Formats: sequence, C-alpha cells, structure tokens
Amino acid sequence: MEKPDIKPKQPGIFSILKPYSGLVAFLILFAIFSNSVNLWLPKIISHGINDYIHSYFTHTKYNINPTLVKFSGAVVFIFIFAYLQTILQTYTSEKVARDLRTRLSDKISRQSSVFIEDVTPSKLLTNLTADVDSIKLFVSQALVSIVSSALTIVGASILLLTINWKLALCVIAIIPIIGGTFFYVLKKVRALFIKSRGVIDWLNKVINESILGSALIRVINSQQMEFDKFLRANSEARDIGMSILRLFAGLIPVITFTANMATLTILALGGHFVINNTMNLGDFAAFVLYLSQLIFPILVIGFMSNIIAAATASFQRINGVLNATDTSDTGTITVTLRGDIELKDVTVTYGQKPALKQISFSVKAGSKIAVIGPTAAGKSQLLYLLTGLIKANAGEILFDGRRIDDYNSESFHSQVGFVFQDSIIFNMSIRENIAFSDTVTDESLEKAINTAELREFVDTLPDKLSSIVSERGSSLSGGQKQRIMLARALAINPKVLLLDDFTARVDGNTENKILANVQRNYPGLTLISVTQKIASVEHYDQIILLMQGEIIASGKHDELMHSSPEYVQIFNSQQSTSNYEVQSK
Amino acid sequence: MKYNLNDLQANAPKTSTWTSLGKLLKLIEHERKNLIWALVAILINSGLNLEGVLIMGRTIDKYIFVLHKNYNGVLINCGILLAMYLVSLVASYLQTILMGGVGQRMLFTLRNAIFNKLQLLPVGFFNQNKAGDLISRINNDTDKLNQFFSQSLMQFIGSLVTMTGAGIYLLSINIKLGSATLLPAVVILIFTSLTSPWVKRKNARNLKSVGGMSAEIQESLNNFKVIIAFNRRDYFRKKFDGANQQNYSTAIGAGIANNTYLPVYSLFSSMAQLIVLAYGIYLISIGQFGVGLLVSYFTYANQFYNPLRQLASLWANFQTAIAGWDRISHILTLENDMVTVDTAAAETSSSLLEFRNVHFSYDESKEILHNISFKLEKGKTYALVGPTGGGKTTTASLIARLYDATSGTVLLDGKDIRSYDPLERTKKIGFILQEPFLFTGTVRDNILYGNELYVNHTNEQLEQVILDANLGSLLAIFEQGLDTKVLSNSDSISLGQKQLIAFMRAVLRNPELLILDEATANIDTITEKLLSDILNKLPATTTRVIIAHRLNTIENADEIYFVNSGEVILAGSFDHAMEMLLHGKRVS
Repeated sequence: MEKPDIKPKQPGIFSILKPYSGLVAFLILFAIFSNSVNLWLPKIISHGINDYIHSYFTHTKYNINPTLVKFSGAVVFIFIFAYLQTILQTYTSEKVARDLRTRLSDKISRQSSVFIEDVTPSKLLTNLTADVDSIKLFVSQALVSIVSSALTIVGASILLLTINWKLALCVIAIIPIIGGTFFYVLKKVRALFIKSRGVIDWLNKVINESILGSALIRVINSQQMEFDKFLRANSEARDIGMSILRLFAGLIPVITFTANMATLTILALGGHFVINNTMNLGDFAAFVLYLSQLIFPILVIGFMSNIIAAATASFQRINGVLNATDTSDTGTITVTLRGDIELKDVTVTYGQKPALKQISFSVKAGSKIAVIGPTAAGKSQLLYLLTGLIKANAGEILFDGRRIDDYNSESFHSQVGFVFQDSIIFNMSIRENIAFSDTVTDESLEKAINTAELREFVDTLPDKLSSIVSERGSSLSGGQKQRIMLARALAINPKVLLLDDFTARVDGNTENKILANVQRNYPGLTLISVTQKIASVEHYDQIILLMQGEIIASGKHDELMHSSPEYVQIFNSQQSTSNYEVQSK
Repeated sequence: MKYNLNDLQANAPKTSTWTSLGKLLKLIEHERKNLIWALVAILINSGLNLEGVLIMGRTIDKYIFVLHKNYNGVLINCGILLAMYLVSLVASYLQTILMGGVGQRMLFTLRNAIFNKLQLLPVGFFNQNKAGDLISRINNDTDKLNQFFSQSLMQFIGSLVTMTGAGIYLLSINIKLGSATLLPAVVILIFTSLTSPWVKRKNARNLKSVGGMSAEIQESLNNFKVIIAFNRRDYFRKKFDGANQQNYSTAIGAGIANNTYLPVYSLFSSMAQLIVLAYGIYLISIGQFGVGLLVSYFTYANQFYNPLRQLASLWANFQTAIAGWDRISHILTLENDMVTVDTAAAETSSSLLEFRNVHFSYDESKEILHNISFKLEKGKTYALVGPTGGGKTTTASLIARLYDATSGTVLLDGKDIRSYDPLERTKKIGFILQEPFLFTGTVRDNILYGNELYVNHTNEQLEQVILDANLGSLLAIFEQGLDTKVLSNSDSISLGQKQLIAFMRAVLRNPELLILDEATANIDTITEKLLSDILNKLPATTTRVIIAHRLNTIENADEIYFVNSGEVILAGSFDHAMEMLLHGKRVS
C-alpha cells in the first residue's frame, strides 16, 4: 500500500466551498444585511432619547412615532433575513456534507480490499461521520459567524468613533485585550482537545471490543477487567476535561471583568463628558448599548477559530482518502475463462514477513485441486491471490495463459466464485445474500440453492427466501452460513470455484452431498479447495501441500503417500476418520 | 427477555424532557454540596453584575442628568462598582470551576454506568442488537452528552441565572414597565413549548438515521472482500447512497427545526427594546421614571434577552443531549434476566453437570431444544456430534449459562447452575467459542486475558507455565512468541491461530469442565493432534465436552451424544454415532 502523496500545497478548508459559491454568496449577503441593520438599532434608540430630551428642554411636544416606525421596520427586516439565512445555512451545510460523503464512498468503493484493511474500516467510518460533521459545522456556523462578527466589530467601532472618538478609543481598547487573552487560552485548549480526541478513540476501542467480544467476556467472567480498562480511559478523559475546564474557568471571568471595566470607563469618562456638555445623554446610552453588542462577536470569532482548526484537520484526513491512488483496473480482457491456472514463482510479503514464497504450480481446466497444510501456512493468502484480492510482490499469475491483471476485473470476478472461510452474511434477505452479484438469474439462483443443500432449510423459514438474516448471521448456525456463502459463489455460474476451508463447519454427510451436487450441476468447473481433510480430496487431480508459505509437495494422493513424509504424517493423523468416510461410500 | 433496542424504543411510552432530565439528575445526587456552592457563586456573580447596572442608572439620574451635576458622586459610584466587579471576578471563577466540575464528573459517572450496564447484560442482548448500531449508539450518544456537559452546561446555567436575575430587576424597578418588557418573553415561552416536541422528534429521527448510516458503513467495510470478489462495488455505493440521502433529509429537517429559535428569539427581544423605548419614554414624560434608569433598562432587557437567545441555541444542544440520553437510558433500564438465584441445598450428585428436562428457545416462536436430559460425569470426555443447525452450540451455551433454559434445570455439581456466583461458575467451566475473539494487544495479553493467576509472571516464567501445561508446541507457532502483536478484528493473524490462542487461554484457566465448540475447525490436523494430546494430559478430573463433526476429534470420547433437531440422544457406541451421523436425516 502506498501512502497517499502529501502535496506540498494542501488545498485549504475554504476550497471545499468552491462548488457552492452561489449558495455561500447568498448566505454571506443575508448575514451582512441582517447584521448591518442590527447595528443601526442602538442608533435609533439613542436618537429617540435625544429627541425626547430635546423636547423636554424646549418644552415642545415629543412625537415618538417616527422612531417606532423606523425601529419596527428594522426589526422585521432583520427577522426576515436572519430566518432566510438559517434555512440557507442548514441547506448548504447538509448539501456539502452529503456530497462529501458521496465522494468519499465513491472513492472507497473503488479501492482494493487491502486498502480498506490498511486504513482500517473504523478510520474510514470516522472519516465518513465525525470528520464530515466537523466540516459541516464549519460551513453552517463558522463561515457566517465570522463574517457577521467581523462586520459587527468593525461597524460598532466606527459608529462609536463617529459619536465620540475619545471615549470610543477607550472602549475599543478592550477588543485586543479580550481577543488576546482568548486566543492565548484557546491555543492551549486546542492542544488538550487533540489529546482528548485520542482518549475518546481509546474509550471507543474499549467499548467496541467489549461489544464484539461479549460472549468471551461472559464465558471468562472478565466483566470487571473490562470495566477497569474502561475506567482507566474514562478517568483520563475526565482529567483532560477538567484541565480544559480550568482554562475556561480562568478565561471567562477575565473577559467579563474587562468588559465591566469598559462599562466603568463609559460611566466615569462618559459621565464627565455629559456633565461638561461635550456629549449628550442619548449618545451615552448608545455607548452602553454598543458595548454589549461588541463583546459577543469577539468571543464568537475565538470559538470559530477552533471550529476552523478542527474542520481543517478533518478536511486533511478526508483529502488523504480522496487523494489515494485508485486501484488501477487496466485489464481489458473480457473473454470467457476456460479455467487453466498457472502460478510462476509467486511471492507475497506482508511487511517484512513473506506469506508465500516462490509458489509455482499449474491447474488444468476442469480439474480438482486441493490445498492442504498447517495453520498459518498461507493457504487463504493463496486463494486471495487467485481472486485478485491481494497482489503478488513478485511472480506471475496466469489464467488461460494471460496475466490476471490483464483481465477486466468485472468480467473476471463474474467467473471466479469464492467461498470465504469466515462467515460473511449481510443484513438483508437470504435471496439478496445469495444473489449478491447482480448477474444472477432466477434460474442460477435455484440451481445454487439446490446444489448447496439449502432448499430444505429455506422452506422451513416463514418468509422463505425473503427472510431477513440479521447482521453477523446470529440467527443462523455456522454450517448454514457456510452453505449460504457457497450458494452465493455458485449463483454466478463460476468457471473457477475457490473454497476456503468450506468443510470446517459443514458435517461430512452434507459435505459429500454438496460436492456431488457441484460435480453434477456445474460440469467443467475448476475447483480449488483449501481443506484440512485428506479423505474428501483423495481422489482429486492434484493435492498441494503448503507449509510456512512454501509448497512442500504436490501430486496425486497415491504419489504423495510415497514421496512426502509430511503428507503421510497428516494422513496418519486423520486415519481413523478416513476409515469411516471410506466405508460410507 | 427482549433486548432489541429498536423495538424497545418503538414501544416505549413517550417520556417528557423533564422526566428524562429528572433521571439524569439522579446521577449527581451526591454532588449536592458542590452544586450548592456553585449556586452561591452564581448568585453572587449575577447579583453583582445586575446591581452594577442599577447603580449606573441611578448615577445618571442622581448626578449626571440633573440640574446640580455632581462628578464626585459619579466617581464614588465608580469606586463602588470597581469593588463589585472585583468580587464578581472571583465568584465567576468559582462558578465555572464548581459547576463544570460537576458536569465533568457527571459525564464520567454516566459513561461508567453505561459501560457497567453493558458488562452486566447477558449474551442475548448482544445477539439481538446490531453491533454497528450498538457501537454508534454508545459512542455518538455519549458524545452528544459530552458536548453538552463539557461545553454548554455552564453557559446554560449561567444564562438561566442571569436571565432570572434581570427579570427580577426589571419587575422590581418598575412593575408596569417590567411586565411590558417581559411580555415578549411569554410569547417566546409559549412558542418554545409548542415547538419543542417537534424539534425533539426531528432530532431523534436524525440520530436514528445517523445510527443506520454507520451500521451500513461498518457492515460494508468489514466485508469489503466479498464486495470486491462479487463485483458489487455498486452495492456499497447504492446502500450507502440510500443511507446518506436519508440522513441528508432528516438532518435538514433537524437543522431547520434547531435553527428556527434564533431568529424568532431575536425578533422578540427587539420587540422588548421597542416596548422599553416607547413605554419608557411615556412613563418618563408623566414623571414616573428617569432617563438614567431607562438606559439601565435597556441593559437589563439585553441581559434578559441575550441569555434567552443563547438559551435558544443551547436549547437545541440540550434537546440533542436529552435525545441521546433517552437512547442511552433505554440501555440503562434493561435488566439482566439471568440473575443468581437462591436455591435449596445441593443434592449429592456424582455427575458434574446435569440437564433435567431442559427446553430452550431464543424467542417464543421457535423452540430450539426439546426436553433434554443428560448427565456429564467428572473426568470423562464427551462428544456432541450432529449435523449443523441441530442445536450443539445452543446446548453448550446452556452448559456455560450464556443463556438460561426456558424451562427445566441445569445442575452443576448437584446445584442449580443459576445459583452459582458468576465468578465461581466461570472458574469451573471453560468454553472455547466457535468464533474466536482476540483483543488488541499481544499474544500474552490474550492468553492471560481474564486470568489473574499469572499476571505478574515474567515472560520466561509464563513460558515455563505454558511448557508445563504442554502448550509449548502451540506457542512456538507464533513467530515472536508471547510478544506477537495481535489486532482485534484483523486478518493479520489467521483464524487457525486465533483458535490456538483461544485454546491456550482456556486451558491455562484450568477449568473443571472444558467445552470446545468446533474449536479446532480451522486448525490443520497435525496441530489438532497436538491439541488432542494436550487435552488428554489435562488433569484426570477435568471433564471435556467436545463439539465436532470431524470424527477423529471424538474417537477418544467416553460417551457420544448425537444432537439433532433439538434432541440430544446418547449414542451407544462410536459406530452407532457414526451411523447416525452418516445416515441421519439432516434437519436444519
């Protein structure tokens, strides 16, 4: 797996908005509308007060109506645009999130299974959920908030300066003080946030394992131990939470105090100006009102810088996936396979460790091959190789004399059936599970079900083939799951069938029936079967003995009984069983 | 017992926000002292800030907006204000640290409670719920609570107190103007209470679709190799697109619902200012009010409505948190139906384990085991054979009490198995499960998992223990021995190797009764021979129950039971068992 290249110039988080520039422009426009009118409100009030005081001193009749009309008009205007803005905001952010998820899933769906294993499904899950959410938050909140907050701060400052520049300068002085403290603390908090994210991952890992391993935990009675594990992670999470809290506990009072100092300045200095008649009382009121409008935006910008930082990190992670190199499907051959298979000096390494070393063998179309060998011999890897799920590090894999990579993967996979060792059952109906490939016809579905000896079982179900199988197939027995997986592989009418330890969970009686069915219903099929049981493969055309990633011996049963001591050893270890199997024929 | 959370949720009576909140608060009853101190700090802080505004208004009316202006008076009041602000600086710090501390500890307690409950629930719970859904429920929902408790709670309470205080000042300075100013708030309150069920519903729906989406992703990604091998990359895309689209529409619904409050609240708070301006100036003109107080009034109105606006955005947070809490509390209210019962004294019994007329069904519709009776003697080896789907694993699960019999009794050492303390029971019974599970860590971690005995052994000492238990040959299969790294749920280690680890884990626990459920199915026959030698060398008192359909694994069995279509029949001999296995009708 190649790591996705990190380009020298990463596109910034704002680049995500490019396709939505129309929506974003309107969003910002609405925000500017409602906020600039909002700035005007204290002005209207201060005029109202001034007019009243004027009429009070000149003993003329005060008419409040123009003020009320202006104020009401402004309020309604703000409401309309603010409401439009929130709708647009939700719509835009969800659209961005949905499109991003679609892009991600589209990208993931084109990757190899090795890529998924490497990146790990849980990381991809985080990319698709939490990371997308944090970008969504950026679009829905950060963008608009920053624009409107900046507008409010600048606008209010300018208005204050025009009212009384001396007093305004004193009040505006709080902006850098509050802003500075805030950024300083947030910088520290951010480091803690990153740490807390790690702890949350840890917590989730403990939870996940305790759910997936629930049966084992109950068998061993290790609930307390799991709880202790959890407690350690949880205590750490609490401690980090407390550290963050302490920082905020220091920050908030400082901000309030600074703001209060500004109020005090307005009272002391503004009061002085009013007493000296260099400022009127309406303007004094305006100062008090603007001050309360000023503080909040400073805080908002600080908070938003956090959201932007989180969104940027998420965006980089998502980009890592989006920029990963696609699996190159260069194959173009779509011919029907005959089923000749040849491996030449194939080597597969996992990290430092070779899983398969210099494997060579060939298989004639229509023949039956068995692969036997001890645990961790590389048998499953060999099958993965033959399905193209993993790639060889060296050597060649040929189907009908042509390299496996030259085949169009769609056409190739529709001719090679694979029954996996572990039960993989999807949470959908039995029919959909078996007819998983979309090339399956009703006829081939029937044939596959009958061949896998599933008919009887299916008929006992209340909804027959439409019965829904729960996730991980918990409602099915191990053998039932295996047989469904076999039917799934057979339903595509494969030319080559790969069985990975199919017999492990199916009883001998059923196994024999099924293999006979396969023989009868799928003539000419090339069969490669990884198995533990020699008895069921004695008559196979070739038996390959694999140990520690190497082929120790290969040939027909009788040959191996003469040439390979390892084979004889395995054979003997199964002797008693074989007797009965032979008798039963 | 029904453990399916989605069904339970659908059938549960609707709980109101307040009952949910009440249940939540029960978790912090012991924090009462801290809460009281926090409240005191909040009251002092808010009180001083509010009083400050009043002093300012009075300063204007007394010293500035009068004929005999008095700047000294202004300065004296400024001094008083400064002192008050300093006190509130301290109070504000205490308020945050105390209140936030309670929030953090509550979150901590809550997480512990959930995890603890998860550990208390039986296997049935995990089989009835999708793993993906369960994980998402717990991770996402606790995260929602986390966000609320660590970020919004303090603001929430602070806003609430400031608002109440401002309201009191508004009313007490001038009852008429005060009532008029608060009138829009009443409208807001009505609006909120009318809309909040709608908002809650929208959010719950969204949370559910998020859960559905992560379940979809998990299922597809974990089974990606099937998707590739069967050419169904489009399947993943299609399934995901469906879930994504559904999530999109529920999220827009929830988003619009959540965002309705803010503009509406702003509208009404502006209305309040309008009322202050119009009615206030009218009152001044008839001599019932002062201009300075009018300025204070604007500030109070702001201090009342701004927190209210904040509460609006926090309210949505609060609703999400409550929705999350609701989903979690469904788990917390589940009770384990497999309690330890008191029982009459033990019968003296020669058998280690006995089934007496046991019936069992996972759900009411279909009985899996019908009237099973058998006895297992100490030190003997038993084999359970039979076709797939016949009930072997279910029988074994009942022996290990992963489930309780629907009727009939299972006796362990002559005592009802349900009367054993779990610790005692699990010490006696070892069970190697069909699907081995490993924890992320090393081979050593996994072998010693849940085994206190050897925790403090060095690797060398442990290796000796393993050799003594005849397990050395198995350990040798792992390249880096005890330190071989293991990742949970990964293909880096083969299924056969996982089974070996599970085998070593169970044997080292030295149980009186060891159940192997197809535990060697994916192990080659040579290694399997090793395993059977190890089994033979177990202490003479150990009873073994081997579930298999591979016949060589059971040749050494003293007794063979044939398990098929929910019946357990003693097979007279190995040949008899063979006969039944080979020719018996398979009933799936």
